[in-house]
Amino acid sequence: MIERLELLAAAAELRTNEIVVMTMTATLQWPQVSTSPLDFDFLAFGMGHASNFGLGLALAQPDRRTIVWKGDGGLLMSLGSLATLAQHGPENLIVILLENRTYEMTGGQPLPTRVDFEALARAAGVEGGGTGGTGTVERWSTIVEARHGLTRILVEPGPHFVVASVTNSAPLPPVAHSDHAARVTNLRAALGL
Amino acid sequence: MTVGVSAVAAADRIVLLGFTDVVIIPDSESALLFATISAMDELRVISPTREGEGIAIAAGLWTGGRKPLVVLQNTGLMEAGDALRGCGIGPRIPLRLMIGWRGFAGAQAGRVPIDSAYPATEPLLAAWNIPTWHLMSDADLDVVDAMDDEAMRTSLPTAVLTGWAFR
Repeated sequence: MIERLELLAAAAELRTNEIVVMTMTATLQWPQVSTSPLDFDFLAFGMGHASNFGLGLALAQPDRRTIVWKGDGGLLMSLGSLATLAQHGPENLIVILLENRTYEMTGGQPLPTRVDFEALARAAGVEGGGTGGTGTVERWSTIVEARHGLTRILVEPGPHFVVASVTNSAPLPPVAHSDHAARVTNLRAALGL
Repeated sequence: MTVGVSAVAAADRIVLLGFTDVVIIPDSESALLFATISAMDELRVISPTREGEGIAIAAGLWTGGRKPLVVLQNTGLMEAGDALRGCGIGPRIPLRLMIGWRGFAGAQAGRVPIDSAYPATEPLLAAWNIPTWHLMSDADLDVVDAMDDEAMRTSLPTAVLTGWAFR
């Protein structure tokens, strides 16, 4: 199990010019490790759709990578997105599933217990899929695996789908209800649009 | 007047207006449009598994600098409500929607029962304050321009409703 804030900090350290889309509890902790204008808070933009939004961004911005931090509860709301990732996911897209087996944002209610997200992604065709046929699926269970994995997927063609087993012992800050339109405007400005 | 819009004419207009991507979940009525645009080099066609996905993908495309058109059926629009709210209306992303109006043709023919999707469609769009035009024949194709202009002017979602199958 990986301490989530430690994973996010490792990614922030390795990240260069990637767009980073985050949702749910990652929106509370990513700002503690990054203040890049290329960070995009997807909270309240549409339940379960962060990786779809990231897929669109990655297709639109082929010269830089897009990283999506997504929750496992969110993925259950949009399981078809795995098939879409397998079919249309570009090489510059990285989806990291923060698997904590709970709806943490709403009080820690449990997820269905028998779901295997890694197997679901493989069955959807992500491995060997995507527009370049270079899709990968992997699991990170320790911070050492995560550091190695991050170093690799930040340079190798994807789309990459990672299941990161995480826990969290850090106190969570309150939700910041920033203006949604401003989030879009700010990211577009950072992209020179 | 011939009812229904020529798929070729619609595709040409989509290209002329500068759309770069079409995010489409085809239905029976838009099947010919899907086939037509899939054969065109000027457009990238993306087919997600559900309409909510499509809305979010289109929002990402637009945020990243592309100009997507979303083609979906009214029933799918109903499924995609949260995505449309969250990825279009709230953040003021000018999504352009081409919506197949399931139930329209049957209602025009007086068939009963009326498809429940038919009467709910326009009130639903009105409730979201989404400006909507009717695209029922080739003579109406300029409404696609109007929809496009209004989305650009307001930076909000706009829509055209197609009542008949593309031909």
